Parts: sequence; structure tokens; C-alpha cells
Amino acid sequence: MKKEVPLAICFIVALIYIVSNYFTGVEFLATMKDLLDKWYLSVDAIVVAIGMVNLAQIHGRRVANKREGWLFSLWLMLCMFGMFFVSIFWFKGTTHVGWNFMYNMIISPMNATVYSTLVFYIGSAAYRSFRIRSMEAGILLVVAFVMMLGRVPLGALLLGGNQAFASMADWLLNVPNSAGMRGIQIGAALGGIATALRIMLGIERGYLGGTGE
Amino acid sequence: MWEKIANVDRRVIYALMILVIALALLNPIGMAIVPSQATIDAYNYIEAMPNGSIVWLGMEFSSGGVTELIPAAQAIIRQGFKKDFKFVCAGMWQQAGDMAEMAFSIVEKEFPDKQYGVDWVNIGYKPGGEVLLPALINDVNEAAKGIDHRQNQLSSLPLMSQFKTIKDADLIIIFCTGTPGEQQYIKHVTGPLNIPLIESAISVSVPGIMPFVQSGQIKALIAGMKGAAEYEALVGVPGPAMAGMDAQSFSHGLILLFMILGNIGYYATRNKKG
Repeated sequence: MKKEVPLAICFIVALIYIVSNYFTGVEFLATMKDLLDKWYLSVDAIVVAIGMVNLAQIHGRRVANKREGWLFSLWLMLCMFGMFFVSIFWFKGTTHVGWNFMYNMIISPMNATVYSTLVFYIGSAAYRSFRIRSMEAGILLVVAFVMMLGRVPLGALLLGGNQAFASMADWLLNVPNSAGMRGIQIGAALGGIATALRIMLGIERGYLGGTGE
Repeated sequence: MWEKIANVDRRVIYALMILVIALALLNPIGMAIVPSQATIDAYNYIEAMPNGSIVWLGMEFSSGGVTELIPAAQAIIRQGFKKDFKFVCAGMWQQAGDMAEMAFSIVEKEFPDKQYGVDWVNIGYKPGGEVLLPALINDVNEAAKGIDHRQNQLSSLPLMSQFKTIKDADLIIIFCTGTPGEQQYIKHVTGPLNIPLIESAISVSVPGIMPFVQSGQIKALIAGMKGAAEYEALVGVPGPAMAGMDAQSFSHGLILLFMILGNIGYYATRNKKG
């Protein structure tokens, strides 16, 4: 019963959700779908709390045992619980000036900074990795060259206003890229369907905490 | 010497990158921006919408996407307000409300006759991820728990009397940096309800979005900062994207230069070893 009941719940809920997406206009199914959507919101919130507990356990142990990088773990916990408790007991809501300060003046700029540092990593990685060690690497280099010049006005400037690089970049994006991407996306979707079916039918049971056997 | 060229310290590359970007931003030379067909398609599609249309703006990004997406949003707002569009904004990303405020910060100066609540509403971030979208189809007021980003009651805003569900949108334009993004809109809203969708996305997302553009599920795509700069050129109001294209051009140029140098160094040292 310990496994059968959760498996039955999973199967029934998944079935209702799938059917309600394909057969619209049936009141019972629509009501059930709305209800499940609301439950999803509740589960989503609970998962955040579980994530916090999990992070606290992992990083708490690292701090207690003073393992390598324990100061970073301490900082992570201070920030996580700091924002959590301050938001609940002091700022009491997202409209508070203090909460807005912490969000807009600390979290938001850090978010933008992390993203903008990509340019440095990409620059350094491109320099090191785009070496013509084989024919495939050579093709990759030529494609990168065309894309990088075609996506900025510099390409046209180098050719005296001619948009050849931009045209080639558009072709690369529209033809070989789209063909590859479509294949990847269809493959990923089929994989998703297969995994969902395995979970629904009880073949994949990792979420029950077991090994799937 | 070839060894050095083949193995330049990454800190040198970082320092040169900062220098090049800073110089380009401080002294832009104003390279010519020629709009691509994709951006022209987006512009023409919006231009062909009837005056007074209600447009949903999905602000599905955070501050990391500001540089590429806010200029496109502002250019679209400029074009839309000239055609008396009404805008309703919201998003599944936590900073959606702040991003919308940032995009509409131009309104007070450039369109003083446009009023909050009458011509545009910022519902802001609402939690739930993609589950929010089906809820918006049923009832926007309920999905948003009755309040907007500025803590106004939605029922007190005149525009919301014309906008009860997302079905009331004549056009949906989304600004995305990732998931949730276009795939969720296509799945829950624009596909089933047959509402046209236009997207502005950051450059790194563009390759993955192209199949949706080709299938017609996305009517037009404004791709990255280049697309935003082209859109600014089409609207006729130069902005931060056009200014940023010089910096992007020179940073690409620097990376290409290092790629060439790296290969010269690699071949010179390889032959030496051989």
C-alpha cells in the first residue's frame, strides 16, 4: 500500500490533466484542471521551503565541519535566511521601501552583473577553443566568424556597406540551425512524453524515494 | 613569441574587453543600422494592427535581460502609443513588474497625455509559472488576486473593464530571456486561442526560437540587441540599443582578432614542435 496508493494517485491525476488538455468544454474536467492548477501553486510554494531546508542541511554541515569553502556556505545561509526573516518580520511585504531596496539595489544588479560577465568568459573561451585542429573545428570557426560579423554592423562596415555577412548569418540561422534545433526539440519532446508515461505507469519510481525497482 | 600568442593570459583578454567596450560606449562612432527582414516583419505586423488595439506585454525576463529587451519594449511602446494602443503588462518572472515600470518610464516625458490605468496597466509579477497563463484565460482579476504592481485594485482601473481575460488581447508581445517564455505562451494561450504572438528575445535564445518563427507560431521575432537597435531605427527614435551596437561590434571584433591570433600561434608552435 505504501507504494500502490501514491502510484494510483499519480496515474489518476496525470490522466485527468492530460485528458482535460485534449477535451475542452467538459465541465468536470475543466473544474478538475483548475483545481489541480491551484494545487500546483501550493506544491510550488512548499517545494521552495523544502529547497531552503535542503540547502540549510548541506551548507550547515559544511560550516559545522569547516570544510573547504565553508565561508561561502555561511554567506549563502546568511543571505538566504536574512532575506527570508527580514521580509516576513520586518518589511512585511514587497511594497516596503526596505524590501524594494534589497531587491532592486542588491539582487537585481547582481543578477545583471552575473549575466554581463558572460562576455568575458565567452571571449576567453572562444580564443582557446576555436583552434583549427580538424576539418570540423575549421567549419565551426568559419560559422562562428560569419555569425559574429553578421549579427553586428561591423560586418557591413568591413565590406563597405555590403550586407553579405548579415545575409549569410540569416541563412545559417534559418536553415542549418533551425533544422538542427527542430530535431533537438522534437527529440526532447518525445523523451519528455516517454518519461512522463514511465512515471504515470509506475515504471519509473524514483520520486517515491526508492531506486525505481 | 608564438607561445605567448597561443597562450594569452585570460586576464589580458578581460582587460582589453573592458577597454574596448568602455571606449565604444563613451565615444560611439554610430555605425549604420540596416533593419533585417525579421525586424521589418515585426514592425509591419504591429503597424498593421488597428488603432486602439489592446496589446498584452509579457515581461518574461529579469535585470540580466535589460540591455537587450528594454530598448525593444520602449520602441514598441512608442510605436503603439502613436497608434493609441492600450497596453496590459504582466509576467511570470519575479522582476516583471519592475521591468514594465522601467520600459514605461519614457511615457511621462514623451506621451504626457497617456495615463496609467487608462492607457496602460502594469499587473506585475504573479506567481505560479506557466500555471498563471491558463488562469489568465479564465479571469485576469482572479489570477492577479485583484491588484496591480502599484497595489491598485484592478477593478478601479478603467482599462481593466475592457480587459477581463487574456482573450481580450488583440496581440501578445513577449520579452523573454528563457523559461517560462514563448513555449508556455504558445502552449496555453496563443496556440489554443489563435492570438498573434510577437517576441523580443535575447541573442543567445534566438537559435532555439527560430523553429517557432518558421512554423508561424511566432509571427515575428526581434532578435537581441541588434533587433532592438533595428526597431529603434524603424520607429525613428535612436535609443540605448543603437548606442550599444558599437560596443557589441567592437567586442565581437576583439574576440575575432583573438581567434585569428590564437590559430596563428597554434600553427606556429605546432610546426615548431613537429
